[in-house]
Amino acid sequence: MKSPGLLLALPTALIVLLLGFVPLIVILVWSFWTWDPATYWIRPEFSLAGYAAILEAGRWSVIVGSLGKAFLTAAICVVIGYPAAMAVHFLASRRTALLLMALFTIPFFTSYMIRAFSWRLVLGRNGLINGWLMDLGIVDQPLDWLLFSNFAVNVGLVASYLPFVIFPLILSMQRVEPSLLAASQDLGASFWRTFRSVLLPLTQAGIFAGFLFVFVMAAGSATEVQMLGGAAASMISVMINDVMRVVNFPLAFAISTVVLIILFGLIFIGNRLFKLTRLFEGFTW
Amino acid sequence: MAIAIGIDNVTRTFGTVKALERVGIKIGAGEFFTLLGSSGSGKSTLLKLIGGFDRPTTGRVLFDGQDVTDMPANRRPSNTVFQDLALFPHMTVGENVAYGLKVKGVAASERKKRVDSTLALVDLAGFAERNVNVLSGGQRQRVALARALVMEPGILLLDEPLTGLDERLRQQMRDEFGRLHQRTGSTFVLVTHNQDEALSLSDRMAIMHKGRIEQVGRPADFFANPANDFVARFVGMERVLKPERLERSGGDTVAIIAGERLVLPGARDVGEMGLLAVRPDRISLANGHAAPGSSLRATVAGRQFRGRFFDFYLELGDGQKLDAEIPVEFADAWPEPGNPVRLEFAGGALVPVPASGTAPNRDT
Ligand SMILES: Nc1ncnc2c1ncn2[C@@H]1O[C@H](COP(=O)(O)OP(=O)(O)OP(=O)(O)O)[C@@H](O)[C@H]1O
Ligand SMILES: [Mg+2]
Repeated sequence: MKSPGLLLALPTALIVLLLGFVPLIVILVWSFWTWDPATYWIRPEFSLAGYAAILEAGRWSVIVGSLGKAFLTAAICVVIGYPAAMAVHFLASRRTALLLMALFTIPFFTSYMIRAFSWRLVLGRNGLINGWLMDLGIVDQPLDWLLFSNFAVNVGLVASYLPFVIFPLILSMQRVEPSLLAASQDLGASFWRTFRSVLLPLTQAGIFAGFLFVFVMAAGSATEVQMLGGAAASMISVMINDVMRVVNFPLAFAISTVVLIILFGLIFIGNRLFKLTRLFEGFTW
Repeated sequence: MAIAIGIDNVTRTFGTVKALERVGIKIGAGEFFTLLGSSGSGKSTLLKLIGGFDRPTTGRVLFDGQDVTDMPANRRPSNTVFQDLALFPHMTVGENVAYGLKVKGVAASERKKRVDSTLALVDLAGFAERNVNVLSGGQRQRVALARALVMEPGILLLDEPLTGLDERLRQQMRDEFGRLHQRTGSTFVLVTHNQDEALSLSDRMAIMHKGRIEQVGRPADFFANPANDFVARFVGMERVLKPERLERSGGDTVAIIAGERLVLPGARDVGEMGLLAVRPDRISLANGHAAPGSSLRATVAGRQFRGRFFDFYLELGDGQKLDAEIPVEFADAWPEPGNPVRLEFAGGALVPVPASGTAPNRDT
C-alpha cells in the first residue's frame, strides 16, 4: 500500500467492517436457513420459508405501513425543519443560534419513553388539546382520534426526530456562500425566487441527508407506536421482537433483510439524485 | 441607458464603527468611476449602498436624481460583479448568464440570443454548455461580467473583481473592462485598492480613507494637486517631506528645507505650513551647472536594484529621508552609500501638499 492515508484509515475501516458489515452478512445468510422446531434453533439448510412467512399474517402490511409512517415523518420533519434551520442560520446571531440549537437538543436528555408518554397528556381525551378545544367551544365532545391513532404516532415521531433533520440542513446552508443569494437578488430575483432557484438546489444534499436520518430512525422506532398508536398498530421492530420471542429466527432475519435492502436502495438512489456525499466534502460540483 | 448616481451626505454606522461618514459624490452617467482606498476604508460599504444591498444610516442615494434609498436590490437598474464572483455552482455558464433574464420573464428564444451575444462580447462564445466550476480564473471572471452585462444595466458595480488573479490576467481583464465600458456605455463603478488599476481605467476616481472621501478628481489631478499627504502617499508618492516653511515668490513657491532654499517653479500655494510630496522619478544627480535654488545636499544611505532602475535611499541634512529612482545607465555616476551627494529636483519633483495631520515621512 503506497498511500499513507489509506494505511491510516485501515484500522477504522476494519472496525467498521467488523461491527457493521459482518452482522449484516450473518443476517443475510441466516435468513435462508431452516428453522428446526426440535432444537428451537436453525440448521444450515437452504430454505425460503422465512421469506414466505413475511407474506403471511399481515406482516407485509406492517412493513409497508412502517415505511409509510417513516416516510411521512421524514417529509414532515423536512418541511418543518427547513424554515427552522433557515431561522438559525440566516436570522440568528451566533449566540442565539447556539441557544436555539441547544433547545432543539434538550428534549433528548429525557428518554424516548417519557417523551412519548408526555404526548399522552397532551393528546389524550382529557389532555391539553382537547381541553382547549372544548374551552374554546370548537368541539363539544373530546376528539378521540388525537391519541392512539396514526396521527398521534406521527406527532410523536416528528417531535422525536426533528433535530436530526435540522443539523444536516444547517450544515448544508453554511456551505451556501451569502454572496450567491445577494447575486440572485442583484439579478432581480425576489426572496421566493432566490429560495427556489438558488437556496433549495444548493441544500438538496442536506435535505436528503436529514430526510434519510429521520426515515431510518423512524422506520426502526417502536416506542412511539407502542405508546401512542392504536391497539392494532405495529411497527417493524415490534414485529421482529414478537417473532424473535417465538424464536423464528429465519423469519426475523428475512424481515430485516428486506428492510435493509429497501433502505440501502433508498440511500443508493438518493445519493445518485442528490449527491449526498457532497455534504461532507469541499463544495465543488 | 447609463444612469447618473448621486451619493447625498451618506453616513453608515455599524454599532460604533463609522464605515461611511457624510460622504457626498456625484457620478456622471456613463462615467468610469473608481473608489480607491485602503482596507476598511468603506469602499464595499458604499458599493453595497449603491447596489441596494444595504441602507444608509442617514443620507440618500439617487439614480438620475430619483431617490432610490428605499428601493431593494432586485428592483434597482444596477448589476454587480461580486468580489468572489458568486457564480451559481449548480448552473452551467449559459444558465448563469441567462438567470437574470429568466427571472425577468424574457422569452426563451430571445434569452438564448442575448446570452450568446453577451458571451461573445466577453470572448466566451460557445461556452454556454460548460460547467462553471471547472473554468479558469479569467474565464470565471468573464462569466460574472457577462451575467451582469446581459441585463444591460444602467450601472455596473465591480467590487475588487481583479483580486486573486495573476498579474498577466489582471492586465488582460483590466483592458477588457475599458473595452466593455466603451461598448456598453453604462456607468461603471469600480472598487479597488490597486492604484494602477484606478489610474489606468478611471475617468474620475475618489480616494477614501476611514469612511471619508479624501479627494475626487481625474487621475492626473491626484499627482498634480494631491489634497493632502495621505492622498499623495496613496497614489505612489511614498515620501512626504516637512520643510521648515514655504514662501511665495512671484508665481513660484520657495521651500526652506534643511537650511537651503529650493525654488518650485509654478507650484501652487498651500500655505506656509504645507508639506512636500516627493516624485522619486524626477530627482537626479546635480551636475556642475544646476540652476541656483534647484538642488539640495544629501547623503546616500543605500541603493537597491529594481530592474529598470535603482532605488537610491537618501537622507537630507536635517535627517529627513527620501528616495530617487535612477535609470540603470546613470546609476554608476552616483557615489557609494555613506557619501554626500547633491540632488537636482526637476520641475514637479516636489509637490506642495496641504498638511492633513498625519505625521509626515514615517518610515513605511
Ligand atoms: N456588516 C458589517 N458589520 C459591522 N461592521 C462592518 C460591516 N460591514 C463593514 N463593516 C466595517 O465597516 C468598515 C468599512 O468596511 P468595508 O467593507 O466597506 O471596507 P473596504 O473599504 O471595502 O475594505 P476592503 O478593501 O478590505 O474590502 C470596516 O471597519 C468594517 O469592519
Ligand atoms: Mg471591500
